[in-house]
Amino acid sequence: MPGPSLLKEVLQRFFSKPVTIQYPFESTDVEKDLRGKHYADLSKCIGCSLCAIECPADAIVMEKLQENKKPKQNPRGLYPVIDYGLCVFCYRCVTVCPVKAFITTDNYHLASPTKLNSRDITLKTLPEKKR
Amino acid sequence: MSVTKVVEIPVTLEIPIGPQHPALHEPLMLKVYADGEEVVKVDINTGYNHRGIEKLCERNSFYRNIFICGRVCGICNTVHANCYVRAVEYLMDIDPPKRAKYLRVLAMELERIHSHLIINAIMAEILGFDTLFMYIMRDREKIMKAKEILTGNRVLADYMMIGGVRRDVNGVKKDRLLNIINTIEGDIKRYIKIFETDDTITKRLMGVGVIKPSQITKYGLLGPIARGSNIKIDVRMGDKYDAYGEIPFNVIIRKEMDSWARMMVRWEETLESVNMCRYVLEHLPSDGPAVPDERRLPRRFPAGESFARVEAPRGELTYYINSVGKQVPYRVKIRTPSFNNIINSGFSYIGYSIADVPVILTSYDPCIACMERAIVINVKRGTRKSVSLKQLAKGEV
Amino acid sequence: MEVPEKIKFLSDLVKKVHSLKPNRIVLEIDKESIRKAFELLLENLGDTGFYLAVIVGTDHPDKNKISLDYYVITHPDKEVYVLRTWLPRDNPRIPSVVDILPAALSGECETYDLLGVVFEGNPHLKRGFFVSPDIYEKGVYPLRKDAKV
Repeated sequence: MPGPSLLKEVLQRFFSKPVTIQYPFESTDVEKDLRGKHYADLSKCIGCSLCAIECPADAIVMEKLQENKKPKQNPRGLYPVIDYGLCVFCYRCVTVCPVKAFITTDNYHLASPTKLNSRDITLKTLPEKKR
Repeated sequence: MSVTKVVEIPVTLEIPIGPQHPALHEPLMLKVYADGEEVVKVDINTGYNHRGIEKLCERNSFYRNIFICGRVCGICNTVHANCYVRAVEYLMDIDPPKRAKYLRVLAMELERIHSHLIINAIMAEILGFDTLFMYIMRDREKIMKAKEILTGNRVLADYMMIGGVRRDVNGVKKDRLLNIINTIEGDIKRYIKIFETDDTITKRLMGVGVIKPSQITKYGLLGPIARGSNIKIDVRMGDKYDAYGEIPFNVIIRKEMDSWARMMVRWEETLESVNMCRYVLEHLPSDGPAVPDERRLPRRFPAGESFARVEAPRGELTYYINSVGKQVPYRVKIRTPSFNNIINSGFSYIGYSIADVPVILTSYDPCIACMERAIVINVKRGTRKSVSLKQLAKGEV
Repeated sequence: MEVPEKIKFLSDLVKKVHSLKPNRIVLEIDKESIRKAFELLLENLGDTGFYLAVIVGTDHPDKNKISLDYYVITHPDKEVYVLRTWLPRDNPRIPSVVDILPAALSGECETYDLLGVVFEGNPHLKRGFFVSPDIYEKGVYPLRKDAKV
């Protein structure tokens, strides 16, 4: 039999709303600086590969850009692609980048039935080349 | 007297929810030989290969190891990363600024609070007191929110870096953290009163699993187990690492030597941690940048050896690093407190009944996802039956 | 360097003293004298005067030796002392201390399973304590530097 203080609280809680957040229908409120989905900004990236070297989970692979799409500051034409299945979201890549070329968000809805990586969203940040 | 029942309790761990028991799978088997209801002998079988992490640390650079060692344990990841970072800082003779040390203490004390809350909730669940389990877990969510405000993530706070921490706090965050800490203090005082007066808890916990002080040091048991038996060992007082030399706190010891004393030590330590967090937030110094620039940290490390200790929520955690001057360490040795506590404690179950075995095991604070299954072998009939540890605790065998 | 005042009774067993960061004292002892050192510690500091914290084994294939460290922490004043021995790499055997100090059980079982150091007199040593069967059936000690796992 619970002690008197717990019994009172149990009876009070019986008539109030449960604290469970029904996740897919409501969303938890998270901080703005939560470590969520991040991707590279190709208008700043210089292709040095430091993020791929420092990643503790080996989740970043450098891929080559097409010849006519290379931005001015990236002569080697390499850009990072993050595999969100391997990533542990430690943000070591974000803090070690010499030109601060990573865009960070607080998006944590990353469960998916297929493999997710950052290739498409990174390629959208390529600056437009004027001919 | 012949043995009529052999109770095998295999306890398995899974990564990453494996607190204080590092790496992959970790089957721990307590072979309990029982005669009727009384325990006669206990054999402990382990088969875990947490050394996968030690061999892995020899192949990765010192910086990648910070994140690898932080993932040894899910519940106490901050203290593992802190011990590794301090061992490397001793090697290089680096002293971080005071503001960074105070912030490290804040992160570690928040982790101590949430770890003690969860083990007390599990003890309530093992005894069958499910209502209390749910209430403690609901209040623990406030601490997880505080960790999210401070470090950026609820569970795995990758917060430590060589030379300081990775994020700073501003005025707004400080006020929100202070509000959370003041609320949780009232909750904890209520729970302490329940643990002291409630019949369900006191009758099951008092007098169970008594360990004498001379047995503690001979068998090498650490942490709240030692403090519940009147031995005052606490690495925070002994080594005074980080900012613990400047923050006032008391080391809690109890004289009753049983499982109830161990759980009460944890509750009172939680109250001390709340006071420490409040002191840190009110007295944060501003003598230097707490966040080092990670792009300018050194790449080569000098040769030498160092040994760092830290007070994890479960006891004393030690790291030994041996470096020969390259970019990767030569040897990293991790000794977690549960390693000593669980393997060396086979003597303390003898003489108590079978239903007391889960209670004693939980009061040592082993990993959580490991309290899963027990197999009861009836030797006469040769049958095996699988029961869960909760049924064993309620005496349904 | 001098042997510290608190453990002066160990001085005739000690061959060399140096330090380990940050300010821990390392005493080098012969492998046959380790048991005597622990008996002296129990006699002079008492049952609750110290505890054995860790046993660390390191493989040094270049010197052809295995180093074994016993970390002892004294109780009220929290000093850390390291007792270090060197064992030959091809036949590492040392008398066990588990009957006088049961805290050594976990450390000795682990060092046997992972490095191959045999502690004579310890009845609980067995392979498969930590290492999974597919590795120990090949007779491989995973923490040695030449082991490929």
